[in-house]
Amino acid sequence: MRRSQRTEALYALLFLAPFLIHLGVFFVFAFVRTLGFSFTDKTLIGQSYQVVGLANFVQLFQDPRFIAALTHSISFMLVVTTLQTFLALSMAAILNQRLKGITFFRTVYYIPSVLSSAAVTVIAIWFFQKTGFLNTFIGWVGSVAPVLLAFLAIFALAQALQVGWERMRGLPVALTDPALAAISLAVGLALTWTLVALGVVGPREARPPEFTWLTNSDRFLGIPIPLWSIIMLNTFTTIPTLMLIFLAGLQDIPKSIYEAAAIDGASPLQQFFSVTVPMLRPVTFLVITLSLIGTLQMFDQVALMGDAAPLDSVIVLAYYVFNNVFSGEGRVGLASAAAIVLALLTFAIVLLQRALGISEKAH
Amino acid sequence: MAAQALQPKRKLDERYLARQRWARAGWIYGAMLALAVFFIGPFYVAYLGSLKDNPLEWPFRYTFAQTQPKNWAAAWRLGQLGAGDPWLGGFVPGARVPFQISYFVQAGQEPQAPLVTVPTRRAGAGLGAIFDEVQAARYAQVSEVQEVGRRPAVVGGEPGQIVTYSFTVTYEGQGPKAARLPLDVEAPRGQLYYAATLDPNRLERRGRVASWDSITPGFLGYVFRNYVRVFNEARDPNTGASFFLRWTLNTFLVCLTVVLSTLLFASLAGYALARMYFPGKNYLFAFVVFTMTVPAQAIFISNYLVLRDLGLLGSLWGMVVWSAVGAGAVFIMKQFFESIPREIEEAALIDGASPITTFFRIILPMATPALGALTILTFQGMWNEFFKAAVVLSGQQGNYTLPLGLSFFRSAYGVAGDWGLMLASAFLSMIPIIILFVVFQRYFVEGVSTSALKG
Repeated sequence: MRRSQRTEALYALLFLAPFLIHLGVFFVFAFVRTLGFSFTDKTLIGQSYQVVGLANFVQLFQDPRFIAALTHSISFMLVVTTLQTFLALSMAAILNQRLKGITFFRTVYYIPSVLSSAAVTVIAIWFFQKTGFLNTFIGWVGSVAPVLLAFLAIFALAQALQVGWERMRGLPVALTDPALAAISLAVGLALTWTLVALGVVGPREARPPEFTWLTNSDRFLGIPIPLWSIIMLNTFTTIPTLMLIFLAGLQDIPKSIYEAAAIDGASPLQQFFSVTVPMLRPVTFLVITLSLIGTLQMFDQVALMGDAAPLDSVIVLAYYVFNNVFSGEGRVGLASAAAIVLALLTFAIVLLQRALGISEKAH
Repeated sequence: MAAQALQPKRKLDERYLARQRWARAGWIYGAMLALAVFFIGPFYVAYLGSLKDNPLEWPFRYTFAQTQPKNWAAAWRLGQLGAGDPWLGGFVPGARVPFQISYFVQAGQEPQAPLVTVPTRRAGAGLGAIFDEVQAARYAQVSEVQEVGRRPAVVGGEPGQIVTYSFTVTYEGQGPKAARLPLDVEAPRGQLYYAATLDPNRLERRGRVASWDSITPGFLGYVFRNYVRVFNEARDPNTGASFFLRWTLNTFLVCLTVVLSTLLFASLAGYALARMYFPGKNYLFAFVVFTMTVPAQAIFISNYLVLRDLGLLGSLWGMVVWSAVGAGAVFIMKQFFESIPREIEEAALIDGASPITTFFRIILPMATPALGALTILTFQGMWNEFFKAAVVLSGQQGNYTLPLGLSFFRSAYGVAGDWGLMLASAFLSMIPIIILFVVFQRYFVEGVSTSALKG
């Protein structure tokens, strides 16, 4: 190594020093120490501790609460990732238009992702109360269901008649023709209004809500209802971020490919599945990885729930670790073992991603 | 089916296609509007809830006393009459507050004057209840209730009349200022509340008992009552200082300190990783990227113990030290430094300037856009940081940051179901981030999409 190179390396070390010290203490040391603790019976208050081997891990898998936390974490991760990816992609596809004002809407949609999880969770808990807004809204939809159904039926009928008529005249219109749909919309609204005014159909009376979201002990698809509430909340707040990533990916797809596909006679739906989806694969991979890792870390929502929902119905791994350290005598050993399980799950996802041969880079 | 069997005889003409394009744009705007309602609607209804006296009322109302301009004007005027303060109101010596209330009385029933009292009422549930406040009941005098008018009316299909009564609440002699002037008005059986100078906060016993938290609330004290309560009621039992103000200040301090340390350390490290030569650089960078995927929840136990040994638990410095510089920030700065041309710094180095001088004199000033983006991302991240606050600060209410404070409110007021105060505090805690977002929204939106894809 030449002298100047050595100087440069020394300067680099100097520049990196604060970051490396921080990384060393708060990551490397922390990780090694957590791994070490996981084989001991250390507590937060006790001074001395002994090595107990794998006893903590054995104990973990005998603890019904840990099993609940593990299954909740994994099902939460899978459900939220699936929902988020599909919803974010379809929203991005809708938003990927060269229309005036699109940036404004994009900014507006991003708001739920910017706000603090604490504030949003407090609002969400209100939302999920028995007489909160979610039940109010569901009750409202239920009460106007006859009117909505009447409208949808009229709309579909009007559209079918128009498309049939145009095709009879020999025009190759699609079933989803937007111009005809606009006329159908107007017809649907006018006729529904008339029917309501004549008293043929009308909203039913809304009943006081009975369903509880947060204090419910039922399960849906094996997942407790309170956890479903958190699933909805988390999906809602993270869709915007993922949608923006998709949108950036969509805008990188050259327009010429779509034009070529259109000339070959591909319908918009065919274009979506044979051009958009394959071209977006690297971005989709990135989104899925981000989402899997992010959902596995979910903590804030559960912690803020507090006594609003029974702990055993919402507990996840991250909260299990926290709760074991900061309740009772502070079972650091056991908590560390659970933390190692959480870390291993994360590594497994990262490794799986690497193994599938697609790096984080979209380009 | 028959239609489909027909071969298209004609092509869609230009006019038809134009119409289709317009209609398509219309549908897309409609869809975008619907999505906007989906993302903003929940916050709007929660905001309405935060203004209500009972956010959990059923059925849900979109218009209520606090949204009516008539009450805004009355609250403003009464606040001025009560304490000369049209914003927050109150009750001071010499105040004379005239008030009117009307009842619906069914035909055939003789109206009777209602019973007016100024009750002794403690502020809210939870934290505020332990403080002794000046009670207006000790100083207020209610004049005789007089009937001032009758007119026939039909209410709910029942014929009858509307009778209006008037009275005055006065503060005679000397005394301290009372923050509120609560009022209960109880009418005899069969008389239904119809209207008043200011709509009441609660109606009980089928509209016979109307009660006000304050009839001299001022505009903010009436419309944003729950917001005012966040500041007034949640106070430190020892010092009496407002928790919420303290938490806001704490959060600002932590955010600013962390932003400064992150800017300095991350740009130093990012520059070294992007530009300088040293052995094992690529491995180090790969490791840094790897650390970004490991959740803080998996490794916090040791960090908690380290901070405990340093005596930083329960202190804001603990938060700062733990968050001083993050791998993500180093990553962003490295990406940026790689994108600027090498020639400029090489020229400086040839001139004999040391790397340190070059960095601070030449490189850092060029990095202003990246530093700006990093400032905003770090500030937002720290403002919303809940986990680290929960680990470091728990138990020291005076040192909480806002997210942890919201969690504290949730457990302190959740039992009593005081949702007005909880929702109001959630909205208050969002204000700085919303301002930041509105001003710098370009950084947020572009930051997410570009940094994610480049990463």
